[in-house]
Amino acid sequence: MRTYEVFLKKEGKEEFRHAGSFEAADDELAIVLARETYVRRAEGDQLWLVDRSNVVTVEADFVAPNADKPHRHNDGSLVAERRRAQRDGSPAAT
Amino acid sequence: MIDGAREHLLAFADDEHMMGQGHTEWIGVAPFLEEDLAFCSIAQDELGHAAALYELIAADEALDADALAFRPPHDYRSCHLVELPCDDWADALARHWLYDTAERHRWAALGGSSDPGVAAIVERAEREESYHRRHAETLAARLLDAPSDGADRLLGAIERLLPYADALWEPVAGEPQTVDAGVVTDASADLRDRWRADVVAFLRRPVDWDALDRPSQAGRTIRSEHFAAIHDRITEVIRIDPAATW
Repeated sequence: MRTYEVFLKKEGKEEFRHAGSFEAADDELAIVLARETYVRRAEGDQLWLVDRSNVVTVEADFVAPNADKPHRHNDGSLVAERRRAQRDGSPAAT
Repeated sequence: MIDGAREHLLAFADDEHMMGQGHTEWIGVAPFLEEDLAFCSIAQDELGHAAALYELIAADEALDADALAFRPPHDYRSCHLVELPCDDWADALARHWLYDTAERHRWAALGGSSDPGVAAIVERAEREESYHRRHAETLAARLLDAPSDGADRLLGAIERLLPYADALWEPVAGEPQTVDAGVVTDASADLRDRWRADVVAFLRRPVDWDALDRPSQAGRTIRSEHFAAIHDRITEVIRIDPAATW
């Protein structure tokens, strides 16, 4: 059996989104079964089935290190404070 | 509507009704989840086709479609294939494939119907049927692909059901008039030959059609031994409350 990852896209500008995964013996069976499982209520207009063996998986160790760089995370609070200060006519806190 | 046309459409409606009901027996117990969903979608489609055909006849007679769908047992015109219990998945799949392969030709013969009401329901039915066939053929082809227990079971089931499937083409009373009037564009015997060619092409081996032991249906006027139980079940609600809606 192969494992297929299912992606659906609605009409318009929305991107393809992951909708689930399931097992099937081959591509044609996957096509036949995915339609009634994932789009029986017209949840999407386009359907991608990706054989999981074709997915490039990046090692977790390689992905993780950037978690310790808070300076890359901007919640907008500094900018908001400067704007507020300017509006109020008082010098911004540094 | 002439008598033969009524009989023809009613027989098709009854087949769709029984087939849809038969498929629903697999809800929740199909071999795997995705198949469960696919098979119950197909059941809903077949029941939808039955409803469309019953409504067409009912409108012509100022009747309620339910009065036709749930009439007394001896008035049904279903073929014995659709009345068979298919408690084994191999039987259910074999029947699904045999029946839906036949349906292609039955709907095609209604596509150019002189009755505009008939012609109007064909397009949707054919769209749905193309999925039914792709589903049945894909599953069956995959199972028959290589020698296996699954292939043996499916072939055994096809062999058992073939006489019943071939008897599906037994015409109802008044068929020549129905064809003359153009309500259906082809005689059952011609449709049967096309279907037989499909079956042989798919199985990739000859079939001795004359040797089949077909059930006695007497122009679909005789119900099989299994029908009473189905009728009991499908009329359960309407017997409790004739005004029930669903």
